[in-house]
Amino acid sequence: MDISYDLFINAVIAGLLLGGFYAAVTIGVSISFGILDIVNIAHPAFIILGSYIAYILNTTFGLDPILASLIVLPLFYALGSAIYQVYYQSFERRGQEALRGLAFFFGLLFITEVLLILVFGVDYRYVEAAYIGPSLRLGVMDFPLRMLVPCLVSLALFGALHVYLSRTFIGRAIAAVSQDQLALQLMAADPIRIKRIAFAMSIATASIAGALLIVIQPIEPSVGREYIGRVFAICVLGGLGSLPGTLVAAMLLGLFESFTSTFYGPSWAPAVSFGFLLLTLAFRPAGLFGR
Amino acid sequence: MANSIRIENIDAAYGAVRVLEDVSLTASDGETVALLGTNGNGKSTVMKCIMGIVRPSAGRIVAEIDGVSHDLIGRSTEQIVDLGIALVPEGRRLFPRQTVEENLLLGAFRPKAREQIKKNLAFCYEAFPRLAERRSQLAGSMSGGEQQMLALGRAIMTAPRILLIDEPSVGLAPVLVSRTIDKIKELKEVYQLTVLMAEQNFTQAIRIADRGYVIVHGKIAFDGRSAAELNNNDLIRKFYLGL
Repeated sequence: MDISYDLFINAVIAGLLLGGFYAAVTIGVSISFGILDIVNIAHPAFIILGSYIAYILNTTFGLDPILASLIVLPLFYALGSAIYQVYYQSFERRGQEALRGLAFFFGLLFITEVLLILVFGVDYRYVEAAYIGPSLRLGVMDFPLRMLVPCLVSLALFGALHVYLSRTFIGRAIAAVSQDQLALQLMAADPIRIKRIAFAMSIATASIAGALLIVIQPIEPSVGREYIGRVFAICVLGGLGSLPGTLVAAMLLGLFESFTSTFYGPSWAPAVSFGFLLLTLAFRPAGLFGR
Repeated sequence: MANSIRIENIDAAYGAVRVLEDVSLTASDGETVALLGTNGNGKSTVMKCIMGIVRPSAGRIVAEIDGVSHDLIGRSTEQIVDLGIALVPEGRRLFPRQTVEENLLLGAFRPKAREQIKKNLAFCYEAFPRLAERRSQLAGSMSGGEQQMLALGRAIMTAPRILLIDEPSVGLAPVLVSRTIDKIKELKEVYQLTVLMAEQNFTQAIRIADRGYVIVHGKIAFDGRSAAELNNNDLIRKFYLGL
């Protein structure tokens, strides 16, 4: 097959930009599932909720969707905090988190979806922003701003969370909490409080990821389902609990999807991505950056 | 200012199984007290009662920290640690997937410990040079002796006034046991700690202990007022040496 240089380089760019966005979608699950062992399968639904909130603020007040997502960030944090409290009281405290906890998050996924359908219907919605449409061109390289802006926001989000988790006292406690709760108590930290903070942060990232999603594509309430498999695949591929791993895995998946879409057709993309996941796990069961 | 711990007549049980019966003991300011006994006699449970991990069904536990008395029963483990009491738990319980340095820094979680973080970290690396060499290695990948050093260092990072140590010798080669015991003595002297140590290795524990209690089937069987008195006691000879 004859591959032109232009096509190749643009497939790389498209893959990296897509990967950057995938990273933002996954970071919340990387915290809840990867670090806390909470199988929050409803995360994509919260991302869609974030998309609709960005949509409302954009259409009614003309606010930039990403700015809007930052404004409602505290609300998502509070929502996450409340969800963890319910999850802890009802399941985790009794040691029933494995199966019933999973059912709980499945329930949240459906409830959120149905509520969104009831309020907004199933029509596709989109937002207006100056960077949706134009492209940045450097020679043969083409950077659509609609993809570039989300990618940059995602990288900033990763940087901020990585610094927080590795440099602050609460952050280090978050990284340790699932390893030994009693040992954490012996360090004078309340593990339930630490988990609540971390889970709330993971839901807060859904606000930003939601805004990025609706910048990239028009959405309807069940779009989130497309991401469930991908999100958990990236999380496992990167190595549970490792944010740099998540970022690298997201970029790799973006590249794979971009290449298969460009050269073989989009329908092969998931097969190639998941094939790569299985191969990686065969040789490195802990994932790329797993400890 | 004085730091001491006083246990008065506690009973404790796991479900219907009675583990401690009318246990009383004290560790006064600046003392090193050994709680001696073989496996399954309740040493660890005494430690857990002090730390709020197991709640006694009767009795009182009072800690005096820098001259202020606190009733410990009913407080959470976090609150007790925050008062200035640290436990090096049985089995060490490090965070295996965190590095040595991350483990040490986690020790300094409480606000009072954060104030002294630089000084304490420097001390840990000086007292345990192995930890300095391996600061970016995962704790779970270290040898048993190194892990015990890290567990001690992490407890020091919480800036305690009273240090409890549960079975420091378990799982260590004999030469490491005596090195660990020496380190405990050194830490105690540098930080002027009050130390309560549960240990089954009688000869090692008694090297650094000022006093010792022998616990048998959940009861204090012998209250030794000095190391010499313990050394010459018939009960201990029978209990430990099978004579």
